[in-house]
Amino acid sequence: MSAALLQILLNGAASGGVYALVALGYTLIFSVLGVINFAQGALFSLGGYFTFLLMGGRIGVNGALPGWHLPVALPFWMALLLAAIGAGVVALLVERVAFAPLRRRGADPLLSLITSLGAGVVLVNLLQILMGAEGYAFPSGSAALAGLPEALFIGGARIRTVQVVLLLISALAVAALTLWLERSRTGQAMRAVAEDPTAARLMGINSGAIVRLAFLLSGMLAGLGGGLTGLSVSLAGPYFGISFGLKGLAVLVLGGLGSVPGAIAGGLLMGLAEALIPSEASGWRDALAFAVLFAVLVLRPSGLLGRRLMEKV
Amino acid sequence: MLRRGGLSGGPSDLLSARRRGSVRLAAAVAAAITALAVLGRSSDPASKPLPASVTVGAAIALTGNANLYGQDQRMGLALAQQWLSSTAQPRPMRLQLEDGASDEPSAIAAFNLLIRRGVIALIGPTLSQQAFAADPIAQRQGVPVVAPSNTAQGIPQIGSFISRVSAQSSVIAPLSLDEALERDPEISRVAVFFAQDDAYSTAETAIFQKALAQRGLTPVSVQRTQLADNDFQNPITAALQQKPQLVVISAQAVDGGNLIRQLRELGYRGQIVVGNGLNTPNIYPICQRWCDGVLIAQAYSPDLNTPINQTFRRLFQEANGNSTPGQITAQAWTAYQVLFEALQRLQERGGLDGVTLGEARRRLMQELLAGTYDTPLGPIHFRPDGEVVQGRFYVAVVTMEANGRDGRFRLVRSIDVNTAAGGPTP
Repeated sequence: MSAALLQILLNGAASGGVYALVALGYTLIFSVLGVINFAQGALFSLGGYFTFLLMGGRIGVNGALPGWHLPVALPFWMALLLAAIGAGVVALLVERVAFAPLRRRGADPLLSLITSLGAGVVLVNLLQILMGAEGYAFPSGSAALAGLPEALFIGGARIRTVQVVLLLISALAVAALTLWLERSRTGQAMRAVAEDPTAARLMGINSGAIVRLAFLLSGMLAGLGGGLTGLSVSLAGPYFGISFGLKGLAVLVLGGLGSVPGAIAGGLLMGLAEALIPSEASGWRDALAFAVLFAVLVLRPSGLLGRRLMEKV
Repeated sequence: MLRRGGLSGGPSDLLSARRRGSVRLAAAVAAAITALAVLGRSSDPASKPLPASVTVGAAIALTGNANLYGQDQRMGLALAQQWLSSTAQPRPMRLQLEDGASDEPSAIAAFNLLIRRGVIALIGPTLSQQAFAADPIAQRQGVPVVAPSNTAQGIPQIGSFISRVSAQSSVIAPLSLDEALERDPEISRVAVFFAQDDAYSTAETAIFQKALAQRGLTPVSVQRTQLADNDFQNPITAALQQKPQLVVISAQAVDGGNLIRQLRELGYRGQIVVGNGLNTPNIYPICQRWCDGVLIAQAYSPDLNTPINQTFRRLFQEANGNSTPGQITAQAWTAYQVLFEALQRLQERGGLDGVTLGEARRRLMQELLAGTYDTPLGPIHFRPDGEVVQGRFYVAVVTMEANGRDGRFRLVRSIDVNTAAGGPTP
């Protein structure tokens, strides 16, 4: 394999891994509730900021409390884990505020698109008020990878070590989630609710608890993605998660709504499509990525690995 | 329902009735427009007498992507106000801040609002891209504008009421290239990066590339990025395949800072020259220890040993701990200072007695362009078209502290552009 091709594959895999992580968050909620949580991008940002604060980062001059910091300075890996849990808890709050009331009233699921979008906007604005609009880099972020070289050279191609770590953790998270869904009792219950909520309820599955679990896990995935991305490329303001959220949404559709393997394949394909675009055309990068999405959907409306929906008559 | 019949209801009568109706409607519309024009004129603050205390409006980016620059500018304006509050003020001058955000519609809205409130002059907006949209509004209404940070080509040429204290990139940018080439005369392979969705960065890269061509260098790689980008793996690996010895970046603080960090992480060890968008201490937390050694040409140096710069530096340090001020803060101070001094000169000569606000704005613009000013940037004056004439520029190298989070722009060269003489600063 030529070095140039290997470089493209590495570049594509590095960004595709994060897209897959975000898309998986969408997938979990979509498969259980049949709705899309538009606050996912905001939860991604939140994960990054939580990690920053837990590592002892200080709020900048434009924030509500300039210079303020938590009285702890945790190592990156512990901060990342707690930040993911924190983002998961906020996702639960989003479920309580933006989804549960509509579900109780039997409202059209489309309405939850708007309420979740509103919840996302509120979260990002809160971040901006509290933390300011400036960019942040993790304090002693490089210590997280102490002892490792800054970049790895593989067959003439180069990739930053942090991106390899990001890709490995994304793959690990995806594999763990897949295994859990396949093997564990709760995972099977979640799949049962996704398949047929009424039948699952009749079989004694607490669908309310499953919904909350799906939100917790999807929030944790977003938080994990935000924290890892923050380590890799800093936090470029409260809105930095929104673009990842949008890309994750495209990956969700590309891979097939509600399909876990589809989210992974879609993420990698999207990353690869972006990596193939030369710099001269980089202004068209998002347009071309969405053109890939469009082309796939024209050829295969259910997405890459989505199931064809059969209408029951 | 049936129409009434009879002779009077014939088609010709209907036609003339319609004509009469149209004439009446036209007359009513004309009267309404005239009334609105008269009312509008009488409510236009420009037609009213100049108040005893005048207000200068500042529309700067307090929110959005350019917020980092806006906060620096707010600090510069506040310090200038603090300094000038102790001097004699024949005509008291107040400052009114308005958030011009980081986009064109917000800058236009802020300019309109401040003009309606009757400001005598405007400072802002923060970005060149915003200036091209908002300045024509001030120009049409005859309100003087002093741009504190617009460095793109063509800003003062928007109109006779537009000026700037920020020297344009074409004057400053190439100076850092000369420093890089002096440090390593063997440089022959240059890679260029620029944010293609930013008017300022695209204008600046054109200047950089022209300057490179004048020095016999053709970029081996030109990489286009976007302001919202944060992962530069693709453009960097593409550029590094060409083995550049010098990288030239035109971007803004956050994306540019990230780009520098990732360049270094991916193994680039050559020199880096950056443009004015990274001319802020706000890059330190982004690229941290990887900022070290970056070269930048500046219109301001904290090391300039003049009384006014010492005062500026002291006030800044009192307000911000031990840090040193950056160019954007110094230019904002300067914008306020030149307006203040021009206004007081005009007042002392009686040039503001018994005039309307509109006339005062016109005279203030003339006075502004006629004066010379001793500022933290050094002595400056204006060309008749509003372009700043500044005699001395600087090249600095970013020097980071051992903790990798704090740093400073260390002066390595000052250049007197009038004599074209350059050399290491004593």
